[in-house]
Amino acid sequence: MNFIARIAKKPLLIVLFILGVSILLISSIAQNASLETDLDEYMPATHPAFVFSDQAEEMFSITDSVLIAIEHPDTIFNAGTLEKIKTITEELPGLFPEVYAGGITSLYTADNITGTDGDLEVEPFYEEIPRTAEELLALQRRVQSNEMVFGRNVSLDSKATLILAEIDPDADAADLHVRLKAYAASFEGPETLYVAGRPIVEGALAELGPADMTRMVPIVMVVIIILLLLLLRSIRDTVINLVIVLFGTIVPFGAMAVLGVPIYAVDTMIPVMLIAIGVAYGIHMHNSIHHSVQTNPGITKHQLVKEVLTAMIRPVSMAAITTAIGFMALMTSQVLPVRYFGLFASVGVMTEMVLALILFPASIYLFGPPKIAPKRLTDGSESGHVSRKDGAWGSAIMHRPLRVAAIAAIVVVLGILGTTNVWIDTSFLANFEKGSDIVITDDFVNTRFGGTSSLNVVLSADDPDTFKDPEVLRAIDALQTDVETHALVGNSFSIADFIKRMNKVMFDNDPAYDTIPDNQDLIAQYLLLYEFSGDPETLAKVVDYDYQNANITFQLKSDSSAVMSEVIDMVAVHGATLTELGVTLRYAGSGYKAFVFSELLLEGQIISLVLSFGIVALLLALLFKNLLIGIVGTIPIAITAVVNFGVMGLLNIPLSSATALISSIAVGIGVDYAIHLIEHYRNRRLEDVSIHDAAFETLAHTGRAIIYNAVAVMGGFAVLMFSVFPPNRQVGGLIVLNMATSAIGTLSILLVAIVALDRKGKFIRIKSTSGLKEKLS
Amino acid sequence: MKHSLKKIIIGLVCLGAVVLAPVGATMTGNEVMQEVYTRPNGNNMSANLIMTLTNNRGSTRERSIVQFRQDDGATEKKLMFFTAPADVRDTSFLNFSYSDGRSDDQWIYLPALKRVKRIASDNTGDSFMGSDFTYDDMGERHPSEDRHTVLRQETVDGWNVLVVESIPVDPKETYTRTVSWIVDGEWIGLKKEFYTADGKLGKTLSIDAFEKIDDIWVITDMTMANVQKNTSTRIQMKDVSFNNKLADSFFSERQMRIGPRT
Repeated sequence: MNFIARIAKKPLLIVLFILGVSILLISSIAQNASLETDLDEYMPATHPAFVFSDQAEEMFSITDSVLIAIEHPDTIFNAGTLEKIKTITEELPGLFPEVYAGGITSLYTADNITGTDGDLEVEPFYEEIPRTAEELLALQRRVQSNEMVFGRNVSLDSKATLILAEIDPDADAADLHVRLKAYAASFEGPETLYVAGRPIVEGALAELGPADMTRMVPIVMVVIIILLLLLLRSIRDTVINLVIVLFGTIVPFGAMAVLGVPIYAVDTMIPVMLIAIGVAYGIHMHNSIHHSVQTNPGITKHQLVKEVLTAMIRPVSMAAITTAIGFMALMTSQVLPVRYFGLFASVGVMTEMVLALILFPASIYLFGPPKIAPKRLTDGSESGHVSRKDGAWGSAIMHRPLRVAAIAAIVVVLGILGTTNVWIDTSFLANFEKGSDIVITDDFVNTRFGGTSSLNVVLSADDPDTFKDPEVLRAIDALQTDVETHALVGNSFSIADFIKRMNKVMFDNDPAYDTIPDNQDLIAQYLLLYEFSGDPETLAKVVDYDYQNANITFQLKSDSSAVMSEVIDMVAVHGATLTELGVTLRYAGSGYKAFVFSELLLEGQIISLVLSFGIVALLLALLFKNLLIGIVGTIPIAITAVVNFGVMGLLNIPLSSATALISSIAVGIGVDYAIHLIEHYRNRRLEDVSIHDAAFETLAHTGRAIIYNAVAVMGGFAVLMFSVFPPNRQVGGLIVLNMATSAIGTLSILLVAIVALDRKGKFIRIKSTSGLKEKLS
Repeated sequence: MKHSLKKIIIGLVCLGAVVLAPVGATMTGNEVMQEVYTRPNGNNMSANLIMTLTNNRGSTRERSIVQFRQDDGATEKKLMFFTAPADVRDTSFLNFSYSDGRSDDQWIYLPALKRVKRIASDNTGDSFMGSDFTYDDMGERHPSEDRHTVLRQETVDGWNVLVVESIPVDPKETYTRTVSWIVDGEWIGLKKEFYTADGKLGKTLSIDAFEKIDDIWVITDMTMANVQKNTSTRIQMKDVSFNNKLADSFFSERQMRIGPRT
């Protein structure tokens, strides 16, 4: 404490130090900071699901594709559109280095295998552009009779066609979506072109989210500044608050830059947390200073600093340490960016704590004790400044504790009910507005074709040639037929489709032979024949060389992880049949990895929340040397978390990586409020104030700080609710909600619980008799 | 008149070249490739082929084929019977290729189906039986489809070799430039490199063994490696014999069903 006071005596040095460190860190951020947008970098590379998926992706050349859809008002079977398909197919790999040279699939590249009058025809659908009406009609007939193309590359109404371009996952495709859209636009009229697919959505997202945050955060800050000025009525303390928050944010990001840790998307939540928490520290310090000045108007600089530090070092440092440890619990996550988030958020919290403890005393040394407006001095009750409103609130709480408990219980029950409704969903597309270009495009492709997302089901067997076995192929076919009944599964593609197509073709296109033949040798011969047809690469996408591994691709009309989960459940039903045939079933592809990733993220989030809950209880118990206080002290956290998840469930806000992290606010803010409230109450009680008066005084003093903090932060983040980026709106709304529940929960049920404990003599062992007196009265 | 004079002059120059220098030293690229194209390869041939396909993960597929070939100058007929793996045994493939430039005629017989199907396909640039070779690579590409230039002379394994660059007349072909190492005077290639439009090496053909059988050069071991896809196909030839004249009727649907019994 003396140490802090000694440092605080050199305010100019502090200012210089903060400035110097800020400049160093900011220049380090400017030079070294790198934004990580590659989602693969977020995945835990050693997780078995990812390891297997990566292997399978390599084995079957599974890559994400960009989908270019061409829509013609009447029919695509006209010379102009066919010419455009050809031009785009030929030009794409040359113009876009991200596109694999052989990775284009379109009507122009597709081979048509047909059987007519004993002949087997293997021909491209067209090479020269058909011009006459007969030629065009003949092409249309060929397309419509080939189920490998019709409905997949050409829509069933023949008004749209799809060009798929495989994208090299290692290529830097940052502005690919912009370039591709501009390129596609040059082909418009009378056709309309749409560019969709995961790489496009990811690209747009990587750009939109952070861009919106950079636009919104300054507005958030301005609103918070205005609110702080109004609430604190002190330019000095508002500035200090601002410095705490800004420097608290610069330090973790600077540390990341110095240590070479890239900035991940989740890190955009770090400033959000640090604003909410930093402002709280500042307001408590401000409050304590004013309290001291009000109680003792003639107080000297030195006395004031000493008094404030005595009162505040313990709660502020304990609140910060507990919060930091709560964030540290995130380091149990399997997801690297979340671990870093936990680490650097705690660095920020500790920095803010140190700043709050040093800057306020320093400001006293620099500018002298604050001049308090006389109006406030005359205001209030026995403690000097309990407002009428506080009094009303206090009476309501203090006199009807059971009612408060009942309301809290109802809120908790409702919250828990809502929580059971929370659905886990991570969807890139859900991040865009309903009417946005990217959603419209995706909808278009999804209604006309199989779908813009995919799931790969990878089958493996111990014996070579397993995937020539008719029984196995039939099981695969049955699996596909079953899973395709899901409304959001567009189509599927596997070795079984090849065999069925070959069988039908060899029997002169007789639909009765669109089946898997009984004879395994015939299947082997069909496969050989398919290779002869000059397209072995397509086959390599569905089965490996030894026929020991096979890949089924399902096209999905949604990129939501909830849909993925449903489809996986449908697939898994067939696992038993396949196991009997010696085939194991696993999953692969970027969509699946994103799904596993979101599950890991949430699992980690929930574990760390539970863990930090336990840690906080333990720390509070140690701090107040009372296990019951430890348990009671977690009430604000519990209520905030339950209400947070409950409201999400009731409002259908899915639990995603962004919304899940917000529950950390429950820990950060909840602990803070609890410690300040308990500490203040305890100090009053140790000063031999009666339970009733201690409670009212705590409400007036700590309550004010808590409300100021909540109002300022809520007002600021309410701005985010007007963001153009839906996830940022959710973040804003949930922060407002969390701050409100934390504040209300602390000022009602926590206080009631503490008073109840105290009344039973289980709060503090006081030497005084006031507790006893009250009991007797 | 002028034309024939030119021919005579070229003839005289060539004659001089034969006497004074290695044969190809003064030949144009087109002439060298024409020699390669017309190098005698026997009118009748039978052989056992082993085709080994290796994919980018190092897995291999091995196929054994008995092949019969007959060339009457106008039509080259090939009949192939698979002998291994077991599940495709007796699958047969008949190919007629015409020197007048018509598309090949192809038939396939699937024993499990007991049916012969004619395959209508005109893609000579397509993969040969799912391998890294194309039909072009299998010797069916006519020299007139490219413009050839002799780049330099080299000595490879003791052979005097002409390095010939070939640029396709059709600029839209996959490989826009190839370089062949041709043994001067023997007109057999030792190596060929295929380059794509961006100047990158696409695939390489290496001739690892060749021998003279009945006075005809036979490539008995060659590998085509696709550098970009990291796949390769090796074709080995065994039990090569020439001039066991087969009846025309041998190259028929009926024979496809009977199998490789002559």
